[in-house]
Formats: sequence, structure tokens, C-alpha cells
Amino acid sequence: MIDTADLADRLTSVVGERGVLHRTSELVVYRSDGLPGYSKQPRLAVFPRTRDELIAIVRLLASERVPFVPRGAGTGLSGGALADDVVLIGLNRLTRILSIDPVERLAVVEPGVVNVALTRAATPYGLHYAPDPSSQAACTIGGNVAENAGGPHCLKYGVTLNHVRAITAILPDGEIVHLGNAEGEVDGYDLLGAFVGSEGCFGIALDITVRLSPNPQLVRTLLADFTSVDAAAHATSDIIASGIVPAALEMMDNATIRAVEASIYAAGYPTDAEAILLIELDGLAAGLELDVARMEAMCAAAGARTVRVARDETERARLWQGRKKAFGAMGRISSHLVVQDAVIPRTRLPELLATIRTIAERQRITVCNVFHAGDGNLHPNIGYDANDPDESARVHVAMREIMAACVAAGGTITGEHGIGLDKLDYMGLIFSPDSLAAMCRLREVFDPDRRANPGKVVPIHSCREWHGAPRATWSA
Amino acid sequence: MLATHPTSTPEVQEIVRDAIARRSPLRVVGRGTWLDAGRPVRDAAPVVLDRLSGIVDYTPGDLTLTARAGTTLAEIADATRAHGQWLALIPWGGDAGSLGATAATATAGPVSGALGAPRDVVIGLETVTGAGDAVRGGGRVVKNVAGFDLTRLMVGAWGTLGIVTEVSVRLRGLPEREVTVALPLPNALPALADVLTKLRTIGIVPLALEMVSETLATRLGLAAGPALLVRIAGNVESVTAQRAALATIDEPVEIDDAVWSRLRTSDLLDCSIVRMSSSVGRFAETWVAAQRLAAATNGHVHASVMRSAARVVMPHTDGTLPADALAMLQAGGRDTRIWERLPNDLWSVVAPSAVNHRLATGVRAAFDPHHLLNPGILGEDSA
Repeated sequence: MIDTADLADRLTSVVGERGVLHRTSELVVYRSDGLPGYSKQPRLAVFPRTRDELIAIVRLLASERVPFVPRGAGTGLSGGALADDVVLIGLNRLTRILSIDPVERLAVVEPGVVNVALTRAATPYGLHYAPDPSSQAACTIGGNVAENAGGPHCLKYGVTLNHVRAITAILPDGEIVHLGNAEGEVDGYDLLGAFVGSEGCFGIALDITVRLSPNPQLVRTLLADFTSVDAAAHATSDIIASGIVPAALEMMDNATIRAVEASIYAAGYPTDAEAILLIELDGLAAGLELDVARMEAMCAAAGARTVRVARDETERARLWQGRKKAFGAMGRISSHLVVQDAVIPRTRLPELLATIRTIAERQRITVCNVFHAGDGNLHPNIGYDANDPDESARVHVAMREIMAACVAAGGTITGEHGIGLDKLDYMGLIFSPDSLAAMCRLREVFDPDRRANPGKVVPIHSCREWHGAPRATWSA
Repeated sequence: MLATHPTSTPEVQEIVRDAIARRSPLRVVGRGTWLDAGRPVRDAAPVVLDRLSGIVDYTPGDLTLTARAGTTLAEIADATRAHGQWLALIPWGGDAGSLGATAATATAGPVSGALGAPRDVVIGLETVTGAGDAVRGGGRVVKNVAGFDLTRLMVGAWGTLGIVTEVSVRLRGLPEREVTVALPLPNALPALADVLTKLRTIGIVPLALEMVSETLATRLGLAAGPALLVRIAGNVESVTAQRAALATIDEPVEIDDAVWSRLRTSDLLDCSIVRMSSSVGRFAETWVAAQRLAAATNGHVHASVMRSAARVVMPHTDGTLPADALAMLQAGGRDTRIWERLPNDLWSVVAPSAVNHRLATGVRAAFDPHHLLNPGILGEDSA
């Protein structure tokens, strides 16, 4: 393989001196992402400023057969954008919004465009970009595409995939392909559907065409507080079963409420509540207040102490800030935070939250729950000191037990953060060896050399030879 | 050729392994209601999934349902209606079809513009690949990014990557109130474009917004002339306000909601069907082009406003398309054309292949290495 100094020179000739980092001290920040506990040392980091530079980089790496990892803003929570001995391609300088078409309600963006920047650019047209991960002030659309990211408002409006119409991508071998069709239907295999959520293993998006959604006529945000987690979970189930689809339905437990209220993001949540629900209804103005009244009644019937409707946009923004900055608020409590991600069938919420509590007590750790209750997407977060090996080990055991409990309840190991490195070991809990092998084959169609984000998503030992094997091995 | 009727996933695996051993292709069949769609399949033994049927898991509070591939949409509709819920996949062809075929063909229907196409509604599935492996993608929860997305890959693959054996879907609560109204639709292009623009701004959130041509309106028993069918839903206040908003365009007339099932089963027996889709801005033009095509065959058109997609149903003359219609089709247009049905010999003329890139042929080879599943249905032979 080409030596690092030589590679740095050739990359510098593409992007200039300031576009390549090679000193260990410069690369420290690129050794991890938003999830603590993983550290990998890239050989180099390169930062293209234009599409042509990005294409030239990928083709250079292809000709030298060098593995690479694409990276957006590095806010990922699965250890996805890091690997040892790779060239890290930072996409955060490709920040141009190429077009916004208010008639078609479409935008074309480069991969490094920050999520909230797109909504800001669409605001003058009465439009917004619906997927809204909590990190939306920093995370990029390219990263959202790689992870098929979600967010609170995905309950009603769907995840990233539901909003991507087309992608121009460069495959790891340097070929440029067009996936999807922004101006009509698509025939044949849904390769766009396969690409979104492929965690950087199938190639790099050069441009992304996304749907913009019209802003609702009216929004109402409710805060319901409960004296037991169980009651809040039951209220959630009742609301989901009612047929009214809230724009968002979020739950926070007491530990999270107290962390938020003690921080600069204090939102006025009642600190003596065992759980709160943040419920948002939006849509046409006509009839919305009727739905609000039904929500209030359902929460009250499930045992809510109070239900408050935000009076104005300021109060609404404050209620949401507490939710979106909850992870940041937890930083006050401990030095490291594992933001976890799992999904369960929605009727199992009360039971699973109790199970998580039991696991936390047994492992002597503190779990804060702040999550998308409406779609059963749990985020059990554990604050700890990563430099304490004993505590770190207990956190690890607790995580595994929580994942196993979610899977046993019929759920899955990630709803929006991805597998990355963090969840590799859990893939065998939900997929058979044959299913994992099929995923490997799919990856090989896009990247036969497995150079793009190596070692992610599917455990390497699953990637056995799938065809031409003796029949006996097929029925394993 | 002798048809098989497996009753379990292992039996499907056995059938595929046997086919591999004999290098004998298979034609995957759900309930057999839509077999004339897609390109012709080479001589192949039917694997009929009518006995691989039944709901496997339905917990109403989760709003998800898992059923075996051969389960009819009618059975699912009955089971979910009892709990005030529904599966928002009401594909062309009616409820006698199977869930598995709906997923495999990714057939959309009138509510797909508002509530999602099969790729959005299917949350997980199991297939038996052309290597005989039982492979699962997704799961039974509504949000899931675990692993590469085999579900999206299989939905719309027409069985060429695997025989769909089980499907999990998300459900919706039935709206409190639902009304269908019809509005007259102008023929002339500027007036039509004006209506389409207004529909996006007057403040409605319809479940379906379907244009029907004059011929089809007559076939559906509606008033003379092209019409816009609108399915509005919500609580009482919302439905009233949406009707009032529509009245700013033209007088909405309430009609029996049975019009939707009639529309879904309005395809003619011996016909070609093409879908013409385009951008929002050009859709009025596409609709006019679609009408011209229908007129040349004495056929009809209906179109989803929300998806900017028209579906042209063209009856055959002497078993094929009239020459002038074929000439119009070959002349092409600015819209995207996807064929559902054609006389066998015309596929190679107007739509040889849907598998036209190495990624697509690579996927095909990866999942069906011996090329045994529905060979030819995507035109992959001519790729």
C-alpha cells in the first residue's frame, strides 16, 4: 500500500495544504464521534471543498486501494465515522444548498449542509425539512442519509429515507451513479432505499435531493406530567391507539427532568414529576383544538397531574429546547454519556421501562430516559466516568442486558443511530447468519473491496462465502 | 408446468433448492390476481403462495401487523377494521390480492401519495432467496435502522431477489370521519394547471386526490366530464373546513366512497397499462399527454395529484395496441414511463429492461445466483 507521506502529498495536490491533516495531534479530534468509548486512529484526514475535489479524492483512493471513512459533522452516536488506518474524508466543507424549488418542494444539497441550515433556507417559502435529529444544529444531511436519521417529528412525518427523492453518489471505485428520480417514479430495484442508511459503506453522496414540507397552519405543544412512569407509558399507548397521529410524542423521566432543570436549558418542567410527555399536534387550524382536547382528556384519564398547553411560540420553543438539549444537560452530571438507542413495540413500553430500571439498579448505574415514546424508540442514557474501568464494565453489561430485553420484547437494537461499531456485537441477536451474509453480499455489490467504512454494520465473520458453498451449509 | 403450494417457509426453501438442483426456473404467484402485470416470465413452474396464508402477529396497540405472504388484503382489512385500524395499502387490483404480492410489486394505490407507498409502509419481511436461504430484513417495529436495508431492496423487486414469505406492516387508526367528494375538472391546460396549483395552497390534507378522465368517470357512474375525486378525513371540524376550502375551486359533490373500490378494480381485462409521472410543474402537461394516449385506444386515465403520476389503461384491439397509440408511445415524452402491462411482444420494443446498471445486475446475481426467480420479469435477460 502507498505510504502515508506519499498519500498526503497526492491528496494535498488535490485539496491544498490546508485540506489535509496528517499530524497525530491534529487527528485527535477525528479519533471518535459523539459516542464515548471508541477511539480509532486514521492515517490522514482530508477535507474537499468542492464536488470535483471529492471525486478526485475517491478516485485517487480507489486507484491506490486505500480504505476510507466518510464523515459529516462527527455527531454520530454509534461509533460509525471512525476506523484505524483509513483516510477520513471530512464532508463538512461541502455546505452548498444547490437549489430550493418552492413549486416542486424540493431542495438539492451537498452532503455537508447542516440539517437546520436547510430548514432555515426554506423558511422564506413556508417550507421546512422534516427530519429533525436532536443534533440538527450541527449534524449534516449527508450524515443523516448515511444513518437514515430520525428525530422527534418522525412520528408523523417519517425518517430521512421518506424525504430523500434522489442521490448522486460516488461509489468506492470512483463511478458516479444516480439513484432515485426527483421527477417521477422509479422502475427496478430500490437502490436509493438500500443506499440510505448504509452508514457510509456503499459510497459517498455528492448531492442529495430532498423533499421540503409545507409548514403546518397551526402547532400546539402540550406538556403532561405524571407521578409514575407507568402512567405516562400508558398514556402514550392510549394516544397511539386513538388514531390521531401527533407530530411528536416524547417522554422524559425524572432523572432527565432534573438534569435539564439544573442546566441552562431549564424549560420549566416540574422537577417532582416521575415522567413528562411532550406532545405536539400540528396541521390544519380547523379541528386542531378538538384533537388537543382529546389529548388532554387521554392524559388525564391515564393519571396526568397537569396538562399544560404552551401559550405562545416562546413557551413552545422553551419546552422543546429542554428536550433537544437534554443530552447536553446530562453533561453536568457525569464526564461521559452513552446515548443509547433501541426500539420496542409500543405496548411494551411500561414493561421495558421497568426492566431497564431493574437492570440499572443491579449494575449500580444511573439511567436517564429521554426518548421518542410515540414510535417506541427508547434512548436509555447512561452517565459514567469512562476512565473508571469498573464502572465502564458495568455500563457495558447493562447496555447488553437492555438490548437483549428490547430484542426479547420483539424490538430492535437501533431506531435511528445506526450499528456502527457499537452495535456490531448485537447484530446476531436479531439477524440469522443467512440474513447477515445476505447483507454482506449487498455491500459487495456496491463495494467489492470493502474499502468504504470498513468493519461496520455487519460483523466480519458473517461475511462468509455465500454462493457455490456446499448445500449443507445453506441450511445451517 | 406443475404448480406447488407451499405452506411454510421451509417448504419454500425446499422448492427453491430443488429448483437449483434441476436448474428449473420458478414463477412466484401470490393469489394470482395480477399475473398479467410485468414482463413475460420464461417457462417456469409456479410457486403459489395461497396456502402460505394467515396473520402471524397483530397487537392492535402497536399498530403493526405481520402476516404470511399469501394473506389477502381483504382478510387484513377485516381483522384491522374490528379494532378501528386499517392498512393504508389499497393497491390497484382490489382486496383479493395478497400482501406478499403487494410488497413484491410495490403496487401503489390512491392513498399512497398521502400515506406512503409500500416501501414506506412495509417495516420488515422474510424472503427465500434464489440460493434457498431464508433471509429477514427489518422487523416488527415502526422505526429500525439495524443492518443494510434488505426490506427496501425486496419491496418492488418483483420476486427476483427472493420469494416473499412474510411481511410486517405499519397500520393506522381509522379517521374519525371520512368523506369523498367529486369536483369537475377543466379540460383546458391553463385552467387545469391553475386547479392543480390551488390544491396545494387552499389548506387541505386529503387522503387521496385522484383525477379521472371523462371515459373513466362514466365507467365509475359519475357525472359527465373529467373529475377530481377527493378523500378527506379528520375530525368533524377539519372535514367541514376542507370541504369549504375545496368549494373555493368548484362545488364539491359528496359521493359514495365505494367509488374507491370501483376505481381500484377498473382495469380492463385485455389492456396495456403505462404510468406517466413527472414533476409537479409539468404534471398538467403530462395529464393532457396521457389523455391523448387514452383517446387513441378508447381507454381511460386516472392520476394521483400528490404523486404527479398518471395511469393510462389502454384496451387492446385484436390482442395488441393500435398502431397509432404505439407510435405515440415510441415518440416518447418528457415524463417518466413505467409499464405495468403490455402484449408480450411489445416489451422489447418499448421497455426492454428495468435492470440497466451494474449495481442492479449485481444485486440480482447476489440474491438469485442461478437466475431462477421470475426470470425475465424485470427484463434482466436483455440487460
